[in-house]
Amino acid sequence: MALLTLQGISKRYQQGELEVNALSDINLTVEEGEFAALVGPSGSGKTTLLNIIGGLDSPTQGTTRLNGTDITTLKEAQLSDFRLFQLGFVFQSYNLVPVLSALENVELVMVLQGKHKNECRQRAEHYLELVGLKDIMHRRPSALSGGQQQRVAVARALAAGPRLVLADEPTANLDSENATALLDIMHTLSHEEKTTFIFSTHDPRVMDRAERIITLQDGKIVSDERHHHEHKT
Amino acid sequence: MKKSAQASVLSRLPILIFVAWRNIWRNPIRSVLTISALASGLVMVILYASLLEGMTRQMVRFATEISTSHIQLHRQAFIDDQDLYATLPWSYMQKLEQEFPDITIAPRLYASGLASSTNTSTGVLIKAVDPKREIEVTKMLEHVRHGKLDLGIADITENGFARYNLVIGAQLAKNMNVEPGDELVLVTQAADGSIGNALYRVAAILKPLEPNFDRMGVLMSIEAYQQLMYLENGFHELAIKVNDLSQLENIQADIIEKLNKLTAVEPLDKLGGVPVVRNWRQLNPAVADLLELSKAFVFIIGFIIISLASLGMLNTMLMAVHERTHEFGILLAIGMKRRWLLLMVLFESFFLSLVSAAVGSVVGLIINNYFEEHGIDFSQSMPDGYDWAGMIFEPVMKGYLIPMDVVYACLMMMVVTMLASLIPSWQTIRLKPAEVMR
Ligand SMILES: Nc1ncnc2c1ncn2[C@@H]1O[C@H](COP(=O)(O)OP(=O)(O)OP(=O)(O)O)[C@@H](O)[C@H]1O
Ligand SMILES: [Mg+2]
Repeated sequence: MALLTLQGISKRYQQGELEVNALSDINLTVEEGEFAALVGPSGSGKTTLLNIIGGLDSPTQGTTRLNGTDITTLKEAQLSDFRLFQLGFVFQSYNLVPVLSALENVELVMVLQGKHKNECRQRAEHYLELVGLKDIMHRRPSALSGGQQQRVAVARALAAGPRLVLADEPTANLDSENATALLDIMHTLSHEEKTTFIFSTHDPRVMDRAERIITLQDGKIVSDERHHHEHKT
Repeated sequence: MKKSAQASVLSRLPILIFVAWRNIWRNPIRSVLTISALASGLVMVILYASLLEGMTRQMVRFATEISTSHIQLHRQAFIDDQDLYATLPWSYMQKLEQEFPDITIAPRLYASGLASSTNTSTGVLIKAVDPKREIEVTKMLEHVRHGKLDLGIADITENGFARYNLVIGAQLAKNMNVEPGDELVLVTQAADGSIGNALYRVAAILKPLEPNFDRMGVLMSIEAYQQLMYLENGFHELAIKVNDLSQLENIQADIIEKLNKLTAVEPLDKLGGVPVVRNWRQLNPAVADLLELSKAFVFIIGFIIISLASLGMLNTMLMAVHERTHEFGILLAIGMKRRWLLLMVLFESFFLSLVSAAVGSVVGLIINNYFEEHGIDFSQSMPDGYDWAGMIFEPVMKGYLIPMDVVYACLMMMVVTMLASLIPSWQTIRLKPAEVMR
C-alpha cells in the first residue's frame, strides 16, 4: 500500500465574485521512502497542495489518505495529533522558536509527543550531529545563519520520527551553495532514516537532487517523472 | 479517554511554562515597563489601603479613647430621657469588676444645670467622674489646654463648705469668659427635689474634642456630684475598656449574661428600666458605618487602579500575540494543540502578573514601613489636626497595613490581569496555520 494517496483533490478559493481553482482533480500516490520535488510556476498550487497533505488546510473535494487514514475526515484535535506523530514540517524561513536554543527547538516536538526527557535529549543531539550542528546546538536561532536554521528545522522534523516530511520551499531564502548543501543533508537522511520527503522548489539545482519531480501548472499535475540517479554519501 | 487527555496536558505543562517564561524576557524593556505599571498600581493600592486603615484605626481610637470607651452600660430610662433616677447600684460595679479581671471600668454620673460666672450664666451639662478610674479607661482627662487637672477640693469657704475644682470645655470657658482659677456657681435640681447650688473653682480647661462637651461640659468628681445632687445610691453610666479588642463581642455578651444574673439576685426598681450594654459601634453608628464604607472604598479604588494598570498588560499581550502569529502558526503545524498554545499565552500573562505582584508587594511594604513609622506630617499647615466627617484627626497621617490586604490586593491584581489577558489569548484559538504560513 502506498504511503500517501490523493484522490480527486480540488481546492477552490472564493474571492468575492471570483472563484480561484487553486487545485483541480489532483491524483497522486507517493511510496514509502520517496524523495519527491513539487515544482511549478508561482501560483500553480504547490503550497496549497502541501498544506492539504499536511492537514493544515482542507480540500474542497477529494480524499487524502496517509498510511491508510483518510485525514480529511479527522477532527481538529485528531489532526493535531496526527501532525505531531506522523508528519514533519520545514517551512521557508523562521521555522524555529526564537527563545529556545537549537537543541531545545529540536527537543520541543518530542517533548510535545510525550517522550521521556532523556530520549528527547539523546535523539536531538543525534540529529543535530547528523546535520552538522552539534557544536553550536546551544545557540539561539538569532545566532545561526539562515542555512543553519534550516538544518535545525530538518533535524527537528526528523528527530520526531515522522512518516512523511513536508517542506515548502525550504531553500528559498538560501544562496545556492547552502541550498544544495541542505538538499544533500535531506537526501542523505531520507535514505538513512527511510523517511519520505515531499518538498516544493523553484530552484533547478535543488530539483536536480530529487528522485521524482511532480510538476504543477494551474492547479493540475502536468508531469510526473522519476530520476534514478545514484545517491552519493 | 478523557482522563488520558488531561494527563497529557499535565505532562506538557513544564515545557509550556518553560517557553512562556522565556518569552517574557524576549522583549525585556516591554516586560519591565508592563511589570512597572502593574507593580506601581499595586503599590498605590497597598499604600492607599494602609493609609485608610491608619485613619480608620485613629478614628476608632478617637471614638473609643476620648470618652466613649469600648463598652458602655446604662439603664434604658437614662438612654431614653436622661432620667436622673435611672441609676445602677454601686454593688453592680463591684460585682462586674470581680467577675471580669480583663476589663477596666469607670463610673459616671450626669445632670444638667445652670452655671454663672461674674457676668453671665448659661445652661451646662454636668459630668461626674472618678479621676483615678477614668484615667485608666479613657484619655478624656489628658487633653488639658490650660490649667492643671484637679477635681479635688480647692479650699474651704468661711462657712465651712468644701469648694471643689471643676474642669470645663474650651468653648464654654470662652463664652463665660472664665479662666483657670476663676469661680463658678452651679445651680441645679437635686435628686430630692431641692435646689442644689454650690460655688466651684475652675481648675482646668479641656481641649475641644467632643463638640457637645466643648460647648457646655462641666466635669467634677463623683464626691462633688453627690454633695450637689444628693444622689448617692448608684451611677448612670459605666465606661468599660477591654484589653483585647478582638474579644469585644464576646465580652459584651458575657457582661449581658452576668447582668441578667445580677438583676435576678438584686432586682432593680421598675421605673429605671433594664440595664443596656452597648459596644462602641452601637454607640457611634455613624462612625461604624463610615468604617464599613471605607472598606468598600478601598476595594473600589483598588479595582479602578488595577484595572487601569491592566490595560498596559492587555496591550503588551496583544502585541506579543500579534507579532508571533507566524511562530504560533509553525507551532500549530508541528502538532502543538490550540489549548496548549492558549495555556502558554496565559502562563506568560500569569508570570508577568506574578512578578508584578512580587515587586509591587515588596516596594509597597518598604514604602509602607516608612508611612507606619513616620507618617505624612501635616503639622506645619494644620497644627491642631484636621476635621473629617465630624471627627478630629491628628496632623500626622500614619499608615497601618493589614498583611492580608496585601494578599487580597495581589489576588485582585492577578485575577484582573488574567481576565484581561483572555482577550489576546483568545486570538490564538482563531489562528489558521495554513493562512499564517502562506
Ligand atoms: N487564501 C486564499 N484565497 C484566495 N486565493 C488563494 C488563497 N491561497 C492561495 N490562493 C490562490 O491559489 C493559487 C495557488 O496558490 P499557492 O500559494 O498554492 O501557489 P504556489 O505554487 O505555492 O506559489 P508560489 O510558488 O508563489 O509559492 C494561487 O492562484 C493563489 O492566488
Ligand atoms: Mg508557495
